Amino acid sequence: MEQKDDIYYIEKVKAGQTNYFSYIVEQYQDIVFSIALKVLKNRTDAEEMAQESFIKAYKSLHTFKGSAKFSTWLYRITYNNCISEVRKRKIHFASTDDIEIRDETTELNLDGIPEENRAQAVKKALAKLPEEEYTLVLLYYFEEQSIEEISRVTRLSESNTKVKLFRARKKLYSILSEMMKDELYTIL
Amino acid sequence: MNELEDIKLKALLQGMKLDSPEPNFSVRVMNKIFEESTALERIKSEKVLGKGFWIIMILFIALLAMVFFMQNTGTQPDGQLQSILPKMNSGVLESYDSFFSKLGSLPLAVGAIMAAFSVLIFLDRFISSNSKVFAY
Repeated sequence: MEQKDDIYYIEKVKAGQTNYFSYIVEQYQDIVFSIALKVLKNRTDAEEMAQESFIKAYKSLHTFKGSAKFSTWLYRITYNNCISEVRKRKIHFASTDDIEIRDETTELNLDGIPEENRAQAVKKALAKLPEEEYTLVLLYYFEEQSIEEISRVTRLSESNTKVKLFRARKKLYSILSEMMKDELYTIL
Repeated sequence: MNELEDIKLKALLQGMKLDSPEPNFSVRVMNKIFEESTALERIKSEKVLGKGFWIIMILFIALLAMVFFMQNTGTQPDGQLQSILPKMNSGVLESYDSFFSKLGSLPLAVGAIMAAFSVLIFLDRFISSNSKVFAY
């Protein structure tokens, strides 16, 4: 359904009805902005980067053949833009080894934790992940993209994507378990 | 990491609200896109090379073709020239012969250099006029 909608708007834009591109912007602005914000760590820069990504996508729309999902194609543009900017500014990506992954993590217990606190905890936990892992997790869980699609976005091999994603998920689970445990103690 | 943990994570993440840009973000993006589209249309509609350039270019190519022709055939034989221009007086014909005999004696390499030079100028002008289109 989502894919069909995208194609519909894209065809309209390709036919010269530029205003239809606003539907695409509205639909994907949050995730594009979130990826940019995670990498650039500044709202103004992230907005600029997100804007640049959409404009780049618009300009290259004629090259989009529809063989992959439009979202995958757009995220790839965004991710590449962010990586280029990081290289230009010589910002260092956070190390993936900063957070310890325990072999045996506490079970993630959500009972008795209000919805609002859960959402905040997830945000905080995601913020602790390095940029690449954040993007992998976001695309996998939030956007429900397949390993193949994620590897297209990040330009990692499928096996490498699988390994890195597994590690990121485990790490996120570990962080969340600890956070929720503390949260539960606070509530009790 | 087992399946249950995976499901819990998925549920948590899908319930999360992502950061959003400023409320007028999409309007700003669309304004920028419209600006760029208009600029591109203007560039496309502009004539890259004017009429004057083409006239000079045609004359130059004609001259080069003549040089090449003269190089291969030499000057026009008197009889042939007389048949083409029967009513011309001898003074004009002498000047004509003299000019083309000098032109015809130009080495082919000079002609080739001139031709290459003009092509390079043409390409330079064409690419610089289209630089915005190529960048797009």
